[in-house]
Amino acid sequence: MTAPTESETLLEVTDLRTRFRTPAGTVRAVDGVSLTLDRGRTLGIVGESGSGKSVLSRSIMGLLPKRNVTCEGSIVYDGREISSLPPAERRKLWGADMAMVFQDPMTALNPVIRIGRQITEGLRFHLGLDRRTANENALALLRSVGIPEPERRMKQYPHELSGGMRQRIMIAVALACGPKLLFADEPTTALDVTVQAQILNLLARQQRERNMAMVLVTHDLGVVAGRADDIAVMYAGQIVEKAPTATLFANVRMPYTEALLASIPKLDEPRRTRLKAIPGRPPSLIDPPPGCRFAPRCPYAQERCHREAPPLRESEPGHVYRCWYPVGVEPRRDGAADRTDTPTPTGAR
Amino acid sequence: MAGTGTAHLRPEDETLLRVQDLVVEFPAGRRKVHAVSGVSIDVRRGETLGLVGESGCGKSTTGKAIIQLPRPTSGSVRFEGTELTGLSGKKLRDVRTRLQLIFQDPISSLNPRRKVGDILAEPLRIWRRGDRSEQLAKVREALDAVGLDPDVAMDKRPHQFSGGQCQRISIARALMLEPELIICDEPVSALDVSVQAQILNLLDDLKERYDLTLVFIAHDLAVVRHVSTRVAVMYLGKLCEVGDPDAIYESPAHPYTAALLASIPVPDPAVRPDDEDVLGGDLPSPLDPPSGCRFRTRCPRARERCAAEEPEMRAVGPDQFVACHFPLVGEGGDGAGAPAAADGDGHADQSARAAGSERADGDGSDGDGSDA
Ligand SMILES: Nc1ncnc2c1ncn2[C@@H]1O[C@H](COP(=O)(O)OP(=O)(O)OP(=O)(O)O)[C@@H](O)[C@H]1O
Ligand SMILES: Nc1ncnc2c1ncn2[C@@H]1O[C@H](COP(=O)(O)OP(=O)(O)OP(=O)(O)O)[C@@H](O)[C@H]1O
Ligand code: SF4
Ligand SMILES: [Mg+2]
Ligand SMILES: [Mg+2]
Repeated sequence: MTAPTESETLLEVTDLRTRFRTPAGTVRAVDGVSLTLDRGRTLGIVGESGSGKSVLSRSIMGLLPKRNVTCEGSIVYDGREISSLPPAERRKLWGADMAMVFQDPMTALNPVIRIGRQITEGLRFHLGLDRRTANENALALLRSVGIPEPERRMKQYPHELSGGMRQRIMIAVALACGPKLLFADEPTTALDVTVQAQILNLLARQQRERNMAMVLVTHDLGVVAGRADDIAVMYAGQIVEKAPTATLFANVRMPYTEALLASIPKLDEPRRTRLKAIPGRPPSLIDPPPGCRFAPRCPYAQERCHREAPPLRESEPGHVYRCWYPVGVEPRRDGAADRTDTPTPTGAR
Repeated sequence: MAGTGTAHLRPEDETLLRVQDLVVEFPAGRRKVHAVSGVSIDVRRGETLGLVGESGCGKSTTGKAIIQLPRPTSGSVRFEGTELTGLSGKKLRDVRTRLQLIFQDPISSLNPRRKVGDILAEPLRIWRRGDRSEQLAKVREALDAVGLDPDVAMDKRPHQFSGGQCQRISIARALMLEPELIICDEPVSALDVSVQAQILNLLDDLKERYDLTLVFIAHDLAVVRHVSTRVAVMYLGKLCEVGDPDAIYESPAHPYTAALLASIPVPDPAVRPDDEDVLGGDLPSPLDPPSGCRFRTRCPRARERCAAEEPEMRAVGPDQFVACHFPLVGEGGDGAGAPAAADGDGHADQSARAAGSERADGDGSDGDGSDA
């Protein structure tokens, strides 16, 4: 349980901008992202490939490449501004404060080091445990992430395990020092649906038991719908809509979110109905469109959208979106979004 | 050869493609990978058969074995009444013009050094279909049909296109020789959802326009349900359940189908993911698949009989067939004798599953270990 004196807010990111200098030009991978996360809560970050989800998580963790990168903006973690800390200081936060489960467990685990040492190393370094205690903790951890015969697994190498098992190990490594904040970057994308469900449930259980906050990154709205407290939708390096999960699904404002939801084949729809595809594809991050970044693909786009970038507006407490002509706000003409937005009755469908 | 049965096959004269007791094994040291172990499927003209199952269950191997790439270890593949397993040389190549496979990875299956126009014209040149200007017209038509601007696309190379566009190019290439049947191996799995819908709609249009029959391989059940007129669910080299998608999705008969359906994340916050329905354990190794029913090591309904005896495919509805001793639907018989777990006895259910997952795990790692 959190001490009463602690503030509820664990993470507050303001106007984060991460850019990569490449031969083709400057890639604006994260372009003005702000978000807050309370202790013990889950924020789902959804977006298509290349929208900047991983770079956002890595920027907050302080895990960016050393060269040809700039990262600006404020990151306040547990009441402390960390964006200006030198890399060595940032690294001290890894493990006991923040940890990450990576998109690809095979590249994140060291292939030539036994599983056991990969877990105990962090425990000894960060928590200063001796070898025996670290070993005992590691065994308990492996058990808690559902790994049978943990003693045997400790002596194995990553390639000797199945994909689902490796992802459990990654989770065990990330949880080893009891982080307050966990970034799970598409922890299940490489896995089959049945294993994906096991892993997501495991993460949820661990999170409840530890009152740990989690940033759950995915391209699948289905994965976060039943699991995140809030959802942020990313498009071309920006958050284009963010809201408490139930609110987002009940009162979608951003046409991109609407289009994304409509393009998913659903189990409860009649078969072989035509899918509502989004034409075209996401824009270049080197030279994004001047107005709304979704305008070239948006069914509601008007002249203003191509000219002027819409700011992030609030439609109800905690619900923000980036659109001149938001969904569900009539009439759809210039300035429509300035009107007070009366939310339609929310409802657990 | 103990297959999983053929009760689900329709009369042969009604089908365009008929695969019976297909077996594909790969050598692995002194052992064998049992990739496909007695699969039977058939496809009627105009149907879209959805072949679904998790990674490694043998979907691609089945697709490739149908076009004899490589030739299956045993079993029969009949296309338009011709047995393909005995064919070779020109005769086989001739059949392959009418029976096309779009490979799982579109980008690596397109020659990076050649222009898109040449890639598409190549099959026409090889088969001497039409003169140069006719070939060019055909290439342009195919590019246009898959939604690419021929003027822009013809002279570019594959790496200049996105994943979704490469998928369109592979589809265009498969169309060049006007095939009867196309096997699409995971045509949308690598694509973003917004682009995935474009390709699914495209396949639907092309099917109409060219009177195509499709075999659609995928691991996403929602996608498969969307496109298919018939569905076949695979697990570890065997078929579990075959039939009408509405029947199967409405009330799955095989415990594996049920688990797969329960694992699909639903984009609706009112649907809370449920720990109860989640399948435990990992896929056993195909080097040493479990005896009896291959699903038994992870199955919540498994009993002794499942280890001793392999379940044969049988009907549980007008167009629903299942290979399971204790299916979730079905009139009386074995279904009535289902284990206590089915009646909501949580404890029995849990312990059966726990035991199952441990066994599954043992099998899997032993296989991996000695392989390494
Ligand atoms: N080291 C780098 N140098 C240059 N560009 C990069 C680098 N890392 C990422 N990018 C670019 O930044 C953008 C955002 O990438 P990011 O990996 O965050 O996307 P993502 O949303 O995580 O996508 P995915 O779903 O595919 O993982 C992409 O255009 C990517 O090409
Ligand atoms: N050429 C090969 N040599 C040895 N084993 C193989 C070969 N091709 C496939 N396999 C094995 O056969 C099994 C079935 O593989 P297959 O590629 O057909 O599965 P799949 O269902 O298509 O999976 P995915 O969804 O990952 O594409 C797997 O265990 C695979 O490792
Ligand atoms: S009940 Fe038996 S036969 Fe049916 S799927 Fe489970 S293990 Fe296989
Ligand atoms: Mg990523
Ligand atoms: Mg495959």
